Amino acid sequence: MAGQLIIAVDGLAFGLLLFAVAAGLTLTLGAADTLQLSHGTLYLAGAYLGWWLGSGNWAGFVASAALGGVVAAAAGGGLALALRPLRGHLHQALATVGVGLILTDVLASVFGAEPQSVDPPPGLTGSVHVFGHDYPIYRLLLIAVGAALALALHLVVARSRAGILVRATAADADMVAVAGVDPRRVQWSVMAAGAGLAVVAGVLGAPVLGPAPGLDHTVLVLSLIIVVIGGHASIRGALLAALVVGQVQTSAAAVWPAAAPFLLFATLAVALLAQTGVRARRIRTT
Amino acid sequence: MTAADATETRAWRPALAVLPAGTAVALAAAVAAPWILDAYTISVASYALVLALLACSAQLLTGVAGLPTLGQAAYLAIGGYTAAIIGRTVTTNGPAQILAATLAAAVAAAVIGAVVTRARATAFLLISLAVGELTHTAARLATGVTGGDAGLSTPAVVVAPGATPLTRDGHIYLWVLGCSGVIIGSLTVLLRSRFGLILRAAASHEPRVRAAGHPAGRYLWAAYVIAAGVAGAAGALLVAAHRYIAPTDTTFTVSALALLAAVLAGRTLLGACAGALLIVATRDLVVPELVPGHAPALLGVLFLAAAYARPLTDRLRHRRRRCRCRGCVG
Repeated sequence: MAGQLIIAVDGLAFGLLLFAVAAGLTLTLGAADTLQLSHGTLYLAGAYLGWWLGSGNWAGFVASAALGGVVAAAAGGGLALALRPLRGHLHQALATVGVGLILTDVLASVFGAEPQSVDPPPGLTGSVHVFGHDYPIYRLLLIAVGAALALALHLVVARSRAGILVRATAADADMVAVAGVDPRRVQWSVMAAGAGLAVVAGVLGAPVLGPAPGLDHTVLVLSLIIVVIGGHASIRGALLAALVVGQVQTSAAAVWPAAAPFLLFATLAVALLAQTGVRARRIRTT
Repeated sequence: MTAADATETRAWRPALAVLPAGTAVALAAAVAAPWILDAYTISVASYALVLALLACSAQLLTGVAGLPTLGQAAYLAIGGYTAAIIGRTVTTNGPAQILAATLAAAVAAAVIGAVVTRARATAFLLISLAVGELTHTAARLATGVTGGDAGLSTPAVVVAPGATPLTRDGHIYLWVLGCSGVIIGSLTVLLRSRFGLILRAAASHEPRVRAAGHPAGRYLWAAYVIAAGVAGAAGALLVAAHRYIAPTDTTFTVSALALLAAVLAGRTLLGACAGALLIVATRDLVVPELVPGHAPALLGVLFLAAAYARPLTDRLRHRRRRCRCRGCVG
């Protein structure tokens, strides 16, 4: 029983980490109408940054999170400008896959191609006694930070003026323009925030999900699954989906690792069938 | 979207006139290649043919049925591992392996497609990506069946019972060329039929197709299954060419390359083949000469070129037209 609880707590930490990555992707797709397939590579860049500067020291850890977030936000804004001439998600997908490949090549040239393990900052390396089990402090902290981030994002999107603009742009960008706000400004801000979040998640998540080749695709696919399950530009949906995906991944990894992909696909299929069912019913009733 | 496609078809029409002659020359060159090129280039060409087949599979969905896919490597994996396992345990007969690989991929797609083809456009793109990457992960983790990251090596295939196994690069190349030629030829015939017409119609305006009484969803599902079968056959040919398959042959990048090949040179099957040849030549012949070890970066540049070709040429065309107008007025 206690073992299952530990796995559930592990899944919570992993799910909240995935939420930090997927929230940016949800907003990018929903409000900026942009398919950003280099999102996983941004996480990988953050994880390498955390390993290079922040492994086992506080100053480097904080600096890499802050610096990485700011630089990535600038890059995200730049990417939004660069993608503007492209029409349609297919061409955006091609362009961002290209950006991802180039970035991956740069990361592999600078940091090498071996998987790296990253130490949490001093003071967070040990474990505490929870429910008769030793549990790493860093993961508990990750849960706290992830929960705070989820709450903050929810409040910003649901309550603040900026959040209203983001939701309005997702619903109808032309109406936002009519109301006197340039929707393109909202769009590049959202992409900047999404890119920043992905890199900060990489720095914070590096001690749990450390830099390794291929991690970019894993993170991208998990966050895309969350976006599809969570629905259009919905922070609450993304949070729920991230928690489900986190639980599925960790519990499968503990019992039967080879079943994890099949379980994830089953989750995706159920969500998809439910969504198309709802849509079909809505069309029939109206 | 539809208007843009129409202008594209019009622009391609003069090119079609020279196509039969060009195709004949290209075919003759392809058959003569083993006597002209060195062994390494021929083995690269064999892989290019496998990717061309995978690109045709992606083209059937992306360019014809309007379902952009980033996950065709999933069916390459299913077909490839089926062929490899059969080659190790049952028979080294090449045609039998291709048949089994095609069937296995099509059956898997029939089940997965029942869910996946409910989605359209961007949602389909994302879900196909998930299917591809999850299959890749499954191939890595199911070590009992697939050998995990170490992969499976297989004995050389034979073309017919009693024939000598295919071990020389030239022979393998000709086998892969013949098989992919037959498959691409049949696919071309299929797409000229009523089936192909309904797929194209569904891509441009699905409600109308439904209103005309065609079950568009079932047609798209059938296209998904056929595309998977083609990708499965490509997997069997990959195993025949390399005598080895590993999860690295079925990554997200492979799916992305198939999509890139499909959109790089016009939305036809021949365009997909040309795109695949260009991509593999860039990766395996140009990169080792110019920038060794940096294949991802150069492929990334190809992706960017494919994405920005349209807006850039549009802008250039626009500017030229405006200049002429000014000339008229001034």
